[in-house]
Amino acid sequence: MDEEIRNGILITVFSTASAVGKTLLSINMAAELAKTGYKVCVVDLDLQFGDVCNYLHISPQKTIYDAQMAIQKNINEFVATDYTTVYQCKELEFSVVAAPLNLEEAYNISTQAVSAFISSLRNTYDYIVLDTTAAFSDLNLAVMDLSTIITFVGIVDFIPTIKNMKVGYDTMRSIGYEKNKIRFVLNRSNSKTHIELQDVEQLLEESFYHVLPNNFSTAIESIHKGIPLVVDSERTTLGRSMQDLVAKYTNRLQETSKPDASLSSWVKKLFK
Amino acid sequence: MQEYRVLLIEQNRIMMERLSSVVKNTKGFQLVSRYQDPREALGQGGVFVPNLILLDIDILENIQFVREFVRAFPQAGILCLSDQWNAQAASTVVKAGAKGYLIKPFTSEELIAAVDTFGKSGMGMLSEIMTFFSPKGKSGKTTLIANLAMALAKKSGQNVAIIDADLQFGDMAVFFNLDPQSTIVEAVRDINFLSPITLNSYFMPITDKVRVLCGTKRPEFAESVSPQAFTDMLSMARSLFRYILIDVPPAFNPISVAAAEASNSVYIVSMISGGFEVKHTKRALDIFKSWSDYEKKVKTIFTRVEPCNHESQRRIENQLEYPISCIVPNEYLLVSAAANNGRMAVDIKPESPLAQSIDLLASRICGRQHKVG
Repeated sequence: MDEEIRNGILITVFSTASAVGKTLLSINMAAELAKTGYKVCVVDLDLQFGDVCNYLHISPQKTIYDAQMAIQKNINEFVATDYTTVYQCKELEFSVVAAPLNLEEAYNISTQAVSAFISSLRNTYDYIVLDTTAAFSDLNLAVMDLSTIITFVGIVDFIPTIKNMKVGYDTMRSIGYEKNKIRFVLNRSNSKTHIELQDVEQLLEESFYHVLPNNFSTAIESIHKGIPLVVDSERTTLGRSMQDLVAKYTNRLQETSKPDASLSSWVKKLFK
Repeated sequence: MQEYRVLLIEQNRIMMERLSSVVKNTKGFQLVSRYQDPREALGQGGVFVPNLILLDIDILENIQFVREFVRAFPQAGILCLSDQWNAQAASTVVKAGAKGYLIKPFTSEELIAAVDTFGKSGMGMLSEIMTFFSPKGKSGKTTLIANLAMALAKKSGQNVAIIDADLQFGDMAVFFNLDPQSTIVEAVRDINFLSPITLNSYFMPITDKVRVLCGTKRPEFAESVSPQAFTDMLSMARSLFRYILIDVPPAFNPISVAAAEASNSVYIVSMISGGFEVKHTKRALDIFKSWSDYEKKVKTIFTRVEPCNHESQRRIENQLEYPISCIVPNEYLLVSAAANNGRMAVDIKPESPLAQSIDLLASRICGRQHKVG
């Protein structure tokens, strides 16, 4: 199995507003994919203020900066997995590429080296999840180009955020990303807000691919424990919803998730 | 309406004719006397009782006469004329007592705008620039800046500017419900052709005293803003406003670094939300430690602090190992409603705890005796 040449699926988790839950979603997607049996790696591309290691309570020996140094030294001898840190919890494990340890290093990361690193990770992992920052930076654009899917996370809290989501989506379309490459995920759907989901969908002229419920305290608890929601709190609505989202990405239908829906579509087919 | 009695000093004959005709044709302005040589003006001009002196400083030695004009005509305002903007010369003449700086040839509108702008407070060489930085974004800093600008204008009675340098996703225009005709992109693009008076028109008025230079309309325009031209724009804006508040995007990038370097103070703003905010603030503080005076220049603000009291502040300060200059309470619903309606300028009531904590910060800023240059 390990000898087989993979061409891993690249999922970028992006947003146009900060603090919408990109990191939490990234690590839970990774955990759920790993649980399903895939080889998974999360890359922290919030180079300056990345939280992936904070959220998982791991202390990396190597970071993306070390990987860049090695690539720049001699790309032919570069072994991508030497620069990952393994996260383990119960039977589950996945790899993490940590953000640089200090800001100077972060400031000096080259887009070219990161692209080369990610391409090389593709040979080892089935899924690579990229946690980004809320900006159309050179780096983010480069990795979005490489990505199979862009998960565009949004929250419906107030008008400026929605304006930026719209502007961001228009920008992505204008630079040539296909509609079906971009998947909108709405986080914290039932939080305090006066704005209707339908109004946002109308503005975006797109519907949300998935909607995650608001469960701020569960999310915070998971961060403080350093354990992804899908591992520890399968019983929570947020954890389950994250699992459903991943199921959609892997085309694996969860038997328990929507029995009614599958029945009705089967019935519909029957009467066509 | 006050009538301006203008004394014009211009060495070049043709330019003198041209400027004379503009002054004569401007309502409210009367040309009382004109000279090619400032020495003649100093000797004879007094009999015409001018209250506005337009002094050409393209003849470099004329700069040294500014002080003598101030002494000879204490009732008059002095505007220096030049065919291009020169920050160094502007700073020199203002320190010598001139009110402002005007690019020639000027139009009637520019002349009126110049006396309006400089007449109130003079050209602000006592300007103070503050950059508001947040490590990860979502810090409540746009709300903070909007309200702080209002409070500063009210307390000081002087001109205050907000510059939205969050080039990709700036929200200031939405907060104030503006549909700007010009933004930071145009101001920075045109900076080499601008003078303080023309730059002023790129800022959208919010109130009598507060103006905003809005962010880009589309994220791809951000690329056209070069750090050098941005810094040049800031140094010109210094001559227009007593306080300049800059909203920069999250994380360090060339624009946020340029803004920080041009500033008198940098505020690192973070929102308490149960994550790693304090850790990130600490990390951001480390970057500034290379500045010799960083403890004086770099300040921290935490928003959504609950309960918003001294105990909370001390607790965060202990974690941070650095003093906090201001803590702001959580008023999510109030703020989001005001932002949604584009009514940031009017909806936040002065008696709200949010407004009061920002008011306190404004008082401290106004009380600071800040020396520039």
